Amino acid sequence: MASQRVFQLGLRRAGVPSLTKVHTAGRMVQRRLAATQHVPEAEGQQILAKQRLNRPNSPHLSIYRPQITWYASSLNRITGIVLSGGLYVFGLAYLAAPTLGWHLETQSLVAAVASWPVIAKVAAKMAVSFPFVFHSLNGVRHLSWDVGLGFKNITVMQTGWAVVGLSVAGSLYLSLFA
Amino acid sequence: MATTRAFARLATRGTAVRPTIFARGFASVDPIAKAGEKLSPEPARKVVPESKTSTLQEPAPDKQAKIKTFHVYRWNPDEPSSKPRMQSYTLDLNKTGPMMLDALIRIKNEMDPTLTFRRSCREGICGSCAMNIDGVNTLACLCRIPTDTAKESRIYPLPHMFVVKDLVPDMTNFYKQYRSIKPYLQRATPPPDGREYRQSKDDRKKLDGLYECILCACCSTSCPSYWWNQEEYLGPAVLLQSYRWIADSRDEKKAERQDALNNSMSLYRCHTILNCSRTCPKGLNPALAIAEIKKGMAFA
Amino acid sequence: MASIMRTGLLRPAFQSPAASSRMLSTFASASASATIKRSSPLAHQLRPQFVRSTIPKTTRVAAFHATRRTQILPPLPQKIQGTVNDPAPVPHPEYTHGSYHWTFERLVSVGLVPLCIAPFAAGSLNPVMDATLCALLVLHSHIGFESCIIDYIPRKRLPVLRAMADWALRIGTVLLGLALYSFETNDVGITEAVKQLWHA
Repeated sequence: MASQRVFQLGLRRAGVPSLTKVHTAGRMVQRRLAATQHVPEAEGQQILAKQRLNRPNSPHLSIYRPQITWYASSLNRITGIVLSGGLYVFGLAYLAAPTLGWHLETQSLVAAVASWPVIAKVAAKMAVSFPFVFHSLNGVRHLSWDVGLGFKNITVMQTGWAVVGLSVAGSLYLSLFA
Repeated sequence: MATTRAFARLATRGTAVRPTIFARGFASVDPIAKAGEKLSPEPARKVVPESKTSTLQEPAPDKQAKIKTFHVYRWNPDEPSSKPRMQSYTLDLNKTGPMMLDALIRIKNEMDPTLTFRRSCREGICGSCAMNIDGVNTLACLCRIPTDTAKESRIYPLPHMFVVKDLVPDMTNFYKQYRSIKPYLQRATPPPDGREYRQSKDDRKKLDGLYECILCACCSTSCPSYWWNQEEYLGPAVLLQSYRWIADSRDEKKAERQDALNNSMSLYRCHTILNCSRTCPKGLNPALAIAEIKKGMAFA
Repeated sequence: MASIMRTGLLRPAFQSPAASSRMLSTFASASASATIKRSSPLAHQLRPQFVRSTIPKTTRVAAFHATRRTQILPPLPQKIQGTVNDPAPVPHPEYTHGSYHWTFERLVSVGLVPLCIAPFAAGSLNPVMDATLCALLVLHSHIGFESCIIDYIPRKRLPVLRAMADWALRIGTVLLGLALYSFETNDVGITEAVKQLWHA
């Protein structure tokens, strides 16, 4: 390997014209051909700080491979926001109902829902039951992690897909048969 | 026609004249663009996709060549306001070593010497060549090139890090965070036998799976929480290191170490997403270490 | 082995001697160094062809930024506090936002598990259990939203928006508590209401 290197260097030198033919050892000088200049420490830091401002941020969300770990986690957050957001919206609407003249008592709501077609009822039940079942089951999974159980990669994948499957089945059952 | 388009643009924009400070350079001759270029460019600028860049071909393909395409993230600091881009390279797998790092080294040696990446040990012990390969953070030297030539490989730097050049991310913040957890033995009392701090076999066993961490930052940069709150959340790698000292029976500053994490940002931005354990190229489990820290602090 | 041959470096040495002289670091005479002093456009031309071709024309001519911010939390330009060798600042311990908060959150979540299962067995709950469920739901929702706000609206970058979001959440939670209180006292209770709606 080392001999190859030497050979290579020799080749390169042979390819370069206009070098004096004989070098005496004393006249050989190491020289860098890129222009350099000395910069004091503080000034160097300023240059670095300026360079930092130009740096792009490497891509993240868009390029990371979809995996059950972070997809389930983000779905957990989204379903939580949907459920809690629904609760907040209903609560605020219920408070505002008397002044705005809305009827949000259970009786009138039940009467309103009863008049819907079956498909709308099933769709509405699905929209509530899937987030609820998924968030509940995944919440149990999170609680098991909080006591330190189920951290092996394979277990995480299995429980993750199990939760997805169970919540699809559970929400279908709840919206069609319950 | 032109007038309607101008009106439509007015209607969508909100204000008639955009303030120059928000304007980006459209061409280098435009004086407004010159002013725009003085501002630092958007860090979250979009990557130019590989469909809009050139492809560098394998230098001398054989007849039985197994040609695989690699798309590599490139950004050159000498053109500071430029967008990062995906550069394509084709390599003959028969002439390339088995690992992704071999492919990168071959590209650099034979096709494009401007490609920049970190590498040192080529055996997964230095952690230099951590990068995002085919969507997952790993060490290039431990990642085999998938032999399926129909699939194209994509190589990015570690996600949501500031890029120094090409595949080299700036790790300053990561190392500063590592320094902040005081990664050394803290003890005031001298050893009982006057010679060394002894530890039972069981106590030593608690450090297995922790001390092997090489700080490659694959786990931290796979964590969405760390993406959004890099400056305050410590991230899986640093928390695993913190637990390595909390769990050490010889360390006498356990309470101080726990107190340093006891705020809403440093530790509790962990939402057990578990990308960290999934991606660790050394097979460690940072999520478990973080859960143990939380458990230890829960009823303290 | 392939890496040692470095054919990519050898080729320009034969094609253009001037370019290869840049790659050599050892020279003997001053006359040789004088010949390689050149103006920058020529130096640019001497960039190997493969380098020039890899730079897209747009970046060579002008930077073109017309894309809008699309990411949910676009990062600011990089700034590093202190020198490289300073540790990142360690915050003061705040137990109420740290371990106590976490433990409380887990206890609420654990409490919600039986209260969510019970209605499926019993149909609906008695008023006390129903009120407990409501209280825990309010707390759980509040903590969940709070954690979203902390995650996505960092105080350092968006202090005003963060304060607004915090206060909006606090007011919303108090109003939700009031609403659920009146719903529990004036109406049928939350589990009974869900049951009736489900079978409507």
